[in-house]
Amino acid sequence: MKFGVLTAFAMTAVAAFVGTPLPAAAQLKVAVIENLSGPGSATNRLFAVGMKNGLTLVNKAGGWKGQPIEYLEYDSQGSSSVAADKVRAAIADGAHILVSGGSSAVAGQIVEDVRKQNLRNPDRRVIFMNVGAEASDFTGEKCNFYSFKYAMNAEIRVKALVTAMKAAGALGDRVFSINQNYSWGKDMEAAITRYAGPMGYTVVDKVLHDVSKVQDFSPYVARIKSSNASTVITGNWGSDLILLVKEIGASGLKVQLGSTFLELPGTLSSAGASTLGYYTADFYLPEAGGAAAKALFDRYKAIAGTLPTTSEVKSVVMAQMLQAALANVELGPKVDTTKIALALEKAKVQTPIGEISMRAADHQAAVPLVVSVVSKDASFKVDGTDMGFKPVKVIPGPEAISAVQETCKMDRPS
Amino acid sequence: MDFFVVSLLNGLSYGLLLFMVSAGLTLVFGMMGVLNFAHSSFYMLGAYFGYSVGRLTGFWPALIVAPLGIAFLGALIERYLLRPVHRHGHAHELLVTFGLVFIIDELVKLLYGNYPLKNPMPVELSFSAFRLFGLDYPFYRVFIALVAIVMFGAILALSRFTRVGLIVRAAVRRPHMVEALGHNVPMVFLGVFAGGAALAGLAGVVAGVFYPTGPSMAQELGVIVFVVVVVGGLGSLEGAFVASLLIGIFSSFAVGVNWTLADAFALVGVAGADLWGGAFTVKLSTVAGAIPFVLMFLVLLLRPAGLLGERQ
Amino acid sequence: MKWLAIAAATIGLLLVPVLFGDRFVFVFIQMLTASLFALAFNLLWRHTRLLSFGHAAHFGAGMFATIHLMRLAEANVLAVPLPLIPLGGALAACLLGVVAGYFATVRTGTYFAMITLAVAELIYALGSQWEALFGGEAGLSSMRLPWAGWTFATTGEVYYIVLGWVVPAAAALYFVGLTPLGRLAFAIGDDETRVRFLGYNAHRAKTMVFALSAFHAGLAGGLLALVNENVNYGAFGGTVSASVVLHTFIGGSGVFLGPVIGAAGLTLLGALLSDVTRLWLLYVGAAFVLMMLYSPEGLAALFIANLRLWRELPWPSLVRLNLLGGLAVLAFVCTTVFVVELAARALTEGASATAVVLFGTTWSLSSPVTWAIPIALALAGHVALKAAIRQRRRLEDAVA
Repeated sequence: MKFGVLTAFAMTAVAAFVGTPLPAAAQLKVAVIENLSGPGSATNRLFAVGMKNGLTLVNKAGGWKGQPIEYLEYDSQGSSSVAADKVRAAIADGAHILVSGGSSAVAGQIVEDVRKQNLRNPDRRVIFMNVGAEASDFTGEKCNFYSFKYAMNAEIRVKALVTAMKAAGALGDRVFSINQNYSWGKDMEAAITRYAGPMGYTVVDKVLHDVSKVQDFSPYVARIKSSNASTVITGNWGSDLILLVKEIGASGLKVQLGSTFLELPGTLSSAGASTLGYYTADFYLPEAGGAAAKALFDRYKAIAGTLPTTSEVKSVVMAQMLQAALANVELGPKVDTTKIALALEKAKVQTPIGEISMRAADHQAAVPLVVSVVSKDASFKVDGTDMGFKPVKVIPGPEAISAVQETCKMDRPS
Repeated sequence: MDFFVVSLLNGLSYGLLLFMVSAGLTLVFGMMGVLNFAHSSFYMLGAYFGYSVGRLTGFWPALIVAPLGIAFLGALIERYLLRPVHRHGHAHELLVTFGLVFIIDELVKLLYGNYPLKNPMPVELSFSAFRLFGLDYPFYRVFIALVAIVMFGAILALSRFTRVGLIVRAAVRRPHMVEALGHNVPMVFLGVFAGGAALAGLAGVVAGVFYPTGPSMAQELGVIVFVVVVVGGLGSLEGAFVASLLIGIFSSFAVGVNWTLADAFALVGVAGADLWGGAFTVKLSTVAGAIPFVLMFLVLLLRPAGLLGERQ
Repeated sequence: MKWLAIAAATIGLLLVPVLFGDRFVFVFIQMLTASLFALAFNLLWRHTRLLSFGHAAHFGAGMFATIHLMRLAEANVLAVPLPLIPLGGALAACLLGVVAGYFATVRTGTYFAMITLAVAELIYALGSQWEALFGGEAGLSSMRLPWAGWTFATTGEVYYIVLGWVVPAAAALYFVGLTPLGRLAFAIGDDETRVRFLGYNAHRAKTMVFALSAFHAGLAGGLLALVNENVNYGAFGGTVSASVVLHTFIGGSGVFLGPVIGAAGLTLLGALLSDVTRLWLLYVGAAFVLMMLYSPEGLAALFIANLRLWRELPWPSLVRLNLLGGLAVLAFVCTTVFVVELAARALTEGASATAVVLFGTTWSLSSPVTWAIPIALALAGHVALKAAIRQRRRLEDAVA
């Protein structure tokens, strides 16, 4: 008995000794700072859930050359001033990489904080990986060597959307632009206006409205009607999208609609059959991704228990990008974030719908998009409805990406 | 022309919904002097109760049962949370309801989740009432308006022409005298508070199937409802009715108007104000949400008791 | 005794950056600014009985003005030593306070509360639209510039700037209560009509108190802006206005330092717990309502009432009373937290959930052990409470 215990102990010790790399390498810590409890946390927290599971998948696949990556989580409560505290807490807890995606306000705060941290503490630089905040500022005026944007932007989305809609004969020539009145909505409006000429439509009217405050969209529908538009293009999300779509449906107005966030959970189930035939452009894997997407979803479900939403998939893919980059960085006693950042610029990941790569000039990722239409024929039903997204066109990353903005002046490490 | 008519109709139906929610608030204030911060939380709870009951029984029974449930909850709150602090003054009652907002909001999120629910309209009500300039006018908007008007009439009749209404009105003016005459004044207050909660609950059930039933419902309507009752005159039912319609119609029209402050300056002869940028070039349609507050300021400055409120 | 306590507290505060790591120093900074904000809010309530639901307007005004000044300094337009910049924020908020206060204090009670709420909502709405002034969604940011050999790059240096402002400002707020204006404000809070009949201009006094309150709220905001180096229009949001109300009344509005207890305590707990539970606001809301019901004057009043007993009664019996009461509260809090967190986790897992992970242990929902724990806790709390009440009666009888 005693002998048995001793042997077991010795064997464990040997196994542990053989199993770990000899020089104790510093552990890489990834801190997600996301809105987990504030208003809007329903959709925002999915990025954190995805990142947690994505890192679990990455660690299962060997992590950073055999060493697992640690996941930390902080609640920004959707407020940028709370996020500022959490950035400090994360850095004090030893985080090397910060991740956020739910809100452009929070991401804006983190970009600034990261810039200042790196300026003041050259020996303790951190990286920001932006998974879902789409404001184009982050790769424009605010572009920074240590901040990487894996989210798309309005220009990318609109370009894909109108191109595919035009090819499908669903674009029409009179477009009504309706968007939320903040950075994202304004970016959308600008992009919709910019593509009017090249795509051969006129923007008959445009409107910006309060974010998540409008209860009754009927006045806006009346305005759409009086503009005699054939197509509505909107970047609205959440209740602003649900209400708009429901109201158009209830009014019997015959317009086509192109959007960007129809597949957020709860949207199709709340907006109902009014959404049939509407278009959306996003990084959306089911159906277009085929067997590879199914394999990824199955792997995800095995650890998470549920199928991933689009936001979760974005986080998972970003975790894979990180792993791809780390494959080219040597483990060492200290995590060198500059080397990781340089590797992130070169990392590529093959997703089920095409390759994702990072553009070094402004750190905007070239993300492939799927433009799809809401249909009952879709093989992958969402939200417990009988509807789903039927892919119309897949646009590869290099084709989808927008031009580098002139305002981006990036200081690269010498 | 068509924009005008459509906007007017939409404004009316939205305004009547606002009235349904604010009626209970202004009644309770009029009777008890308490501005119930949690009132729009009752509205949200009404939608959720309606959803839960409706899944078991269908929409119509839920229309009765859910408001009764909210009334019961309101009664409990009045009896066990408000009455004990009554002696500390109205500010403390206000603060208790303020704290309740957080509790109700969080509990709703806990029990029903963070997403808007799938709460569809009953099929027998989802048809088009009439067609106007090429747009269908959903019958449900007419239904909301009908419920609101019936409610307005019923409350007025109840308070003007019945014995119960008489006692309630008397209890507001001279509580001690009414008590001396043998009426149970605390019971009257309890009934009024429960009734006000039930009205909000009813509005919630009705609105819940038309607007999304979600955890931010209360927040979205909350402050607007305060504005309605203040503009109408705290405690005045008729005032709330007028103010609701006014704010409903204002917000409906503001959406379609592209005026800026610079245009207003140009009207009075100051050209070029748009070059100053900033607030001068903000379109009225984008600040539609702020209009109720401006209205509230104007009313408070020019007629502090509200449009139809009594001078205190 | 009193001065000894104050001196000890000051020395303790001075030693914070020496004793704690960066993470906690930042939490202390938050506690300090939240405390000053709550004290400013309570100046208005404790003296004049005016309840503001829109104090975020002044807090935010202070933040934005400070950031604008910092940006001017960064652009070499303005040469102001960094530690003095928050004063500019305070003055801007004071200006807003004079205007808003002039209109708001025409009314009292509920109308006043509604006007302040509307002011904050209006500024919030404007903040989201007027990008040149408020920076839109991303907000405005700046960077602390070095001054007189200080770089202000470390947490410790920033902490001392905040401390250097908060302590004198808090003292000033205390002494306002002793000035003729403060005395007049107290009288207005008691009976405004009588004050007016005595020939005082009540409206002017209320406006002045309002502006003073706005000044200090703006100072608190300015300090936070200096720390965060970034601000967006969310600073005007309803949650900011709401939190100062919660802090003040949980801590205790009737005692000068009451709001500090609430603000510092809740900020500290929030920083420690908000990553642990999703239901932080539920607990705060419940604590607030319970406080309103059982101790409308807040924690501070409980504390002082207890302190008074210490002078009158033999201490062994008091220790027992406090222990029993504390045990009861602890048991009830544990019961509630356990049940609520269990329910929250079970509900997020969905209807099929059979077991839930909580406090690092897996709890089976069908196991009697899982439910025996809260029941036992609640029973223990009940017994302790009963014993505490009995003990208190006995003590009261002894005194009588």
